[in-house]
Amino acid sequence: MIEIRDLRRAFGGVMALDGVTLTLADGERRAVIGPNGAGKTTLINTLAGETAPTGGAIRLAGRDITRLRPWQRARLGLAHVYQRTELFAPLAARDNVALAVAARRGPYRMFRAVPRSEYAESEAVLERVGLAGRESVAARALSHGERRQLELAVALAQRPRVLLLDEPTAGMSPLETARITELIAGLDRALTILIVEHDMDVVFRLADRVTVLHEGRVIADGAAADVRGDTRVHDVYLGKAVTVA
Amino acid sequence: MTAELVFQQALNGLSFGALLFILASGLSLVFGMMDVVNLAHGAFYMLGAYVALSVVQSTGSFWLAMLAAPLALGVLGFVLEPLLLRRLRARHLDQVLLTIGVSLVIVDVIGQVWGREVRSLSAPAGLDGSVTLIGGVYPVYRLFVIAFGVALAAAMAVVYRRTRIGMLIRAGVQDAEMLGALGVDTNRLFASTFATGAALAGLAGVIAAPVFGVQPGMDTDPGLLYSLVVVVVGGLGTLSGAVAGSLLVGPADTFGKVLFQDVALAVIFAIVALVLLLKPTGLLGRIRIAR
Amino acid sequence: MRAALVAAAAAAVVTFPYWSRPWASPFATTLLRDALILAIFALSLDLLVGRAGMPSLGHAAFFGAGAYAAGIAGQRFATDQLPVTLGAAALVGAALALLIGVLVVRSEGIFFLMLTLALAQIVFAIAFQWTAVTGGSNGLSGVGRPMLAAVDFSAPDLMYVLVAVTFVLAVLVLWGLARSPYGRALTGVRENERRMRALGYDTARLRLSAFVIAGTIAGIAGALSAYSTRFVSAQDAGLGNSVRAFVTVLVGGAGTLGGPIVGSALVSLIERVVPSLLPTDLRIADAILGIVFIGFVLFARQGMVGLGHAALVRVSRR
Repeated sequence: MIEIRDLRRAFGGVMALDGVTLTLADGERRAVIGPNGAGKTTLINTLAGETAPTGGAIRLAGRDITRLRPWQRARLGLAHVYQRTELFAPLAARDNVALAVAARRGPYRMFRAVPRSEYAESEAVLERVGLAGRESVAARALSHGERRQLELAVALAQRPRVLLLDEPTAGMSPLETARITELIAGLDRALTILIVEHDMDVVFRLADRVTVLHEGRVIADGAAADVRGDTRVHDVYLGKAVTVA
Repeated sequence: MTAELVFQQALNGLSFGALLFILASGLSLVFGMMDVVNLAHGAFYMLGAYVALSVVQSTGSFWLAMLAAPLALGVLGFVLEPLLLRRLRARHLDQVLLTIGVSLVIVDVIGQVWGREVRSLSAPAGLDGSVTLIGGVYPVYRLFVIAFGVALAAAMAVVYRRTRIGMLIRAGVQDAEMLGALGVDTNRLFASTFATGAALAGLAGVIAAPVFGVQPGMDTDPGLLYSLVVVVVGGLGTLSGAVAGSLLVGPADTFGKVLFQDVALAVIFAIVALVLLLKPTGLLGRIRIAR
Repeated sequence: MRAALVAAAAAAVVTFPYWSRPWASPFATTLLRDALILAIFALSLDLLVGRAGMPSLGHAAFFGAGAYAAGIAGQRFATDQLPVTLGAAALVGAALALLIGVLVVRSEGIFFLMLTLALAQIVFAIAFQWTAVTGGSNGLSGVGRPMLAAVDFSAPDLMYVLVAVTFVLAVLVLWGLARSPYGRALTGVRENERRMRALGYDTARLRLSAFVIAGTIAGIAGALSAYSTRFVSAQDAGLGNSVRAFVTVLVGGAGTLGGPIVGSALVSLIERVVPSLLPTDLRIADAILGIVFIGFVLFARQGMVGLGHAALVRVSRR
């Protein structure tokens, strides 16, 4: 589904991505881990189209998307959930999701009211992520955990083929983390998911395969259990005793 | 177009460019430091000219006016910043809107106090003659304007690069909040910067008066319009941007008016459009997306 | 129920000269007519400033272009027929908005504001200097009152009705737009453009379309102004007029339908009524407007509509 070949991204003199190659199969759940500064967020941003790579190529379902803009990639089925919450603050939760639903049909319907089916679909998605009953609350009035749930709802409403999750459990309490993790685990198996995470419990609950980045390069790539025991990975994480199980 | 005519127009273009530099540098400075586009800049320019008018009327000295006007505008700027702008720190767009209100008030007050007729200010004695240059007679005053502009640019460059205040300005243009964290009194720095921008506008008003006259509407044309075009083309927030912009817009406007007369400003439009299409932040500007 | 009230209000506005005859002078009709033209102009600007988050300070370029187009089309085609002259105004407004829009639509915030200001000022300067076409600094005089088939709008009352009907139509159109998926998409662009792009919206094209729609309506407002005063001056496209519209939007309340309408009432009051209360040699209407504007920016950023909301909230809490 996703092919990344020799992806490079330089920022001034720093190689944030230094020849990253990885492939995601259809329906695969892949976690990308690595210490801070390893290039994980740069990888996601480059995949989403917000940052242009300085070298390499990206293919989505066989199609070269390296030069495409974010909105073009979204139309091809790529959904991106940001590290920091990016919602439409004054709009109600339902409207946040409705914007995603409407995006598929194109926004130039100017003279009709918002169709009820859009709202019905939005409310269904909200219910799926556990925000039933909070549809009319403005995004900025939601709790941090609820906002991350809303983020997920917005992304799901795009009916994507590929979901990019950048640290979905960042800043969450253990309870909220467990809830979101189960939510993601329960998503349709046809959906290909790439998730950047620091929390190893979440990683091992969700991921089929794990890729480890360090200084812009892939240093390990394999089944979750194998990566767990890899000494190089342990070395790289030295000092992060909390995360290595 | 004879060679003499070209030379004359080139000098005109340069003197206009020099004037534009004095005018636009203040706008660029305030933006670079405070992220505020002072839309009252044209009004400050206008006020400087009218203050000069009064000073010359009562004392007969153009040189005194050249000191008094920037001083008066500087004081005004030093008072206005804490009074109005400081309340809106970090609300950059709202600060810009505020300056619109200030402009409305100043221009109307000028009309009320000084009247709305077209006035004029003559060049000071000693500079009001003409000199014979290549193929023609040329007003000395315009040469003075060029010299003054160059001197001012040089002085600003020296201050910018060699002095402590210049270092503060350069640092502030990069990151003003950081300066606060380092113990610099940002309140006073911002007030002083705004005052300096206003003073430069006032100075431009005095110097431009013998060339462009003193009349209603001068706050927009040439005031705000030309300073904006210069900084948009040359690039906001940098000294070199103001220089580049003035050197480009001054001669272009002059030659445009000679060659195309009625639609000379279309030439400027074309330049602005071209620059915007190629480099949206201006030729030598920094990328700044502020809300 | 609300629809009936709104319809009644619209009818009252359109028929104003007739039912106010007993107690109001013809000046009241003229004053209201000009306020309504300002309202249409401000409503079109609010589509950009309030809804799409595009603070344009050059909107008068389209107003002026529309005014000139209506006047010039009438003279060049030797006709006063409304579809021709108003159509020309709308077309020119749209075309100019497309031309300028393409250049400015990729910038945001303050930079966008400055670009629109600078480009509009250049349009003004062209209008001011192109004497052959626009009359230059003397302006374009002798603009005819429009006709629609046999109906002649020369009479002041009929001219008012034309303006009022256009106003009601403009409000309807913009209201419909606000409620539609398009309007919601514009709100999304204002609130979080990055996210909108990630969702699959071509935000540059959305902003451009809003810019063109706003420019078209502004052009129509300009045409109405040309018909009313039978004169077009370069100032119609000038910074002063752009500022006026911006002040109206902000003081009334950006992003709401009622805001620009209420704002134009206040601005018209300050511009027309206040000077008549002051001694004739004290001409400071603009200064008063400036001070009022500063006051709102500092203390009541959401405008009069915002103040109204806050007051309502406080009242309902008791």
